[in-house]
Amino acid sequence: MAAEDRQGKGSKSSAAAEQDRVLRFTRGERFSHWVHAISFFLLLITGLGILSLWFRPVLSLFGGVQAARVIHRVVAVIFVVVVAAMFFIGDPRYHWEWLKSAFSFSKADRRHIGAFPKEFFGGHGEYPPQGKFNGGEKINSLLTIFGSVFITLSGIVMWFRGSFPPGLVRWAYPIHDLSMFVMTAAVIGHMYLGLLHPDSRASIFGMLNGYVPVKFAQSHHAAWYNEVKSTGNRFHL
Amino acid sequence: MARKMIFADTSKCTGCKACTVACKEWNDLPAEKTHLIESYQTMKDFTPKTWTYVTFIELYRNKTMDFFMRKAQCFHCGDPACLKACTSKAISKSADGLVVIDQDKCIGCGYCAENCPFGVPKVDAVRKKAYKCTGCVDRVENGLTPACVQTCQPGALQYGEREALLAKAKERLNEVRRRYPRARLYGEQEMGGTTYVYLLLDAPEVYHLPQHPAVPVSLTLWQDVIRPVGTVAVGGAAAAVVVGVLGNLLRGGYRREGGPPDGGERRSAKGGKK
Repeated sequence: MAAEDRQGKGSKSSAAAEQDRVLRFTRGERFSHWVHAISFFLLLITGLGILSLWFRPVLSLFGGVQAARVIHRVVAVIFVVVVAAMFFIGDPRYHWEWLKSAFSFSKADRRHIGAFPKEFFGGHGEYPPQGKFNGGEKINSLLTIFGSVFITLSGIVMWFRGSFPPGLVRWAYPIHDLSMFVMTAAVIGHMYLGLLHPDSRASIFGMLNGYVPVKFAQSHHAAWYNEVKSTGNRFHL
Repeated sequence: MARKMIFADTSKCTGCKACTVACKEWNDLPAEKTHLIESYQTMKDFTPKTWTYVTFIELYRNKTMDFFMRKAQCFHCGDPACLKACTSKAISKSADGLVVIDQDKCIGCGYCAENCPFGVPKVDAVRKKAYKCTGCVDRVENGLTPACVQTCQPGALQYGEREALLAKAKERLNEVRRRYPRARLYGEQEMGGTTYVYLLLDAPEVYHLPQHPAVPVSLTLWQDVIRPVGTVAVGGAAAAVVVGVLGNLLRGGYRREGGPPDGGERRSAKGGKK
């Protein structure tokens, strides 16, 4: 995973286009994001089919209930192992810095969170220049991190329930579901901001080819953008 | 139909195990190899082929030995934890109090098995279905008594109307207490009143039964709090997105934006500052 990742539409990365856009996510970051996203949705659908009769018919797409249970476990391993491995292989620096940033809230982040509801519903909130991840994104990161950890731990207990005391297994079910609800609510808001919200949906390109429009970077992540321009350090907490 | 009850008077049980055999016969459950567990007990737990067995406990006190025998099977709770745990609506409770697993609806997830305070339902690893004593619902609904009750020679098992049989059980308890002062009824109140009510000769712990069986707090939290609240929260997030899209439409967010984003690959002539 080269830090200076220039894959994508090679023909278009002319000098003129380069001035218009800036690399936000490396290939490794994008890979982890999409492995997490795709496996999450597969796990969600197969899991909901077990949890609720309302979703049960969907399991026929996976070959029935018993096949869906196997798929749920196989995908769970990918969900956990592949993303965890990305913290150690390739170019893991950006993964660790994302993790670190999610746990460090500055005053600017808190101000962004204050303005977030207004922004979310199409208004314009005032907040200071933001880093690579703004306050709202950090909240989403935290929900994803804690959701993933708790859903993984409880899932292990449920999978190997014969090896754990019944009292612990009984608690694994509510924890597994609570994590699922938190992450599902978060991903709905996340997809809205990345795909539908007029002010922020340009950010999707950061997860497709890695680059976001300069205009977007300046208005949403000014502190990070200035750092990239002045020092070449593409990571700014 | 008024609630029925099976009175299991352990003071009359001789440990003959005819109940196990009768159960197997009625339910078409084949015999299987047994092992001596302790005393005269030959089954350790329920299996797909054995839904009821007798537990034997020998207790030595004051130079005398007491046999504590108990026919184990599903209690058929008035407030069954298995039914609450089932996400497939495969478990139902009949009017006379029998808790039955519908084999067609069961997917073998094992939520019932994990949440039963008595550890009764098990998942058949081969068929991927949960199984347990049905209370011979197919006999009872046709005016017969459960097979185990039908066969019990010493009269340790009786079937009848709950009110009448409970009164009888209390009378019997008074008699038994002269010899076993710690004797008690088990299942009158427990788990919303169980259909199998036992006259135990000693404390439940002696029989390895829970002293205060209850629907697990984790199960109530899961089914009555997390699932409804979580559903509302996810619905709320979806509703917020709809409101957000409408808000942006009304405030002209999409017009200001100047068309769909292009990832900065093309220079757009016009476009809002934000």
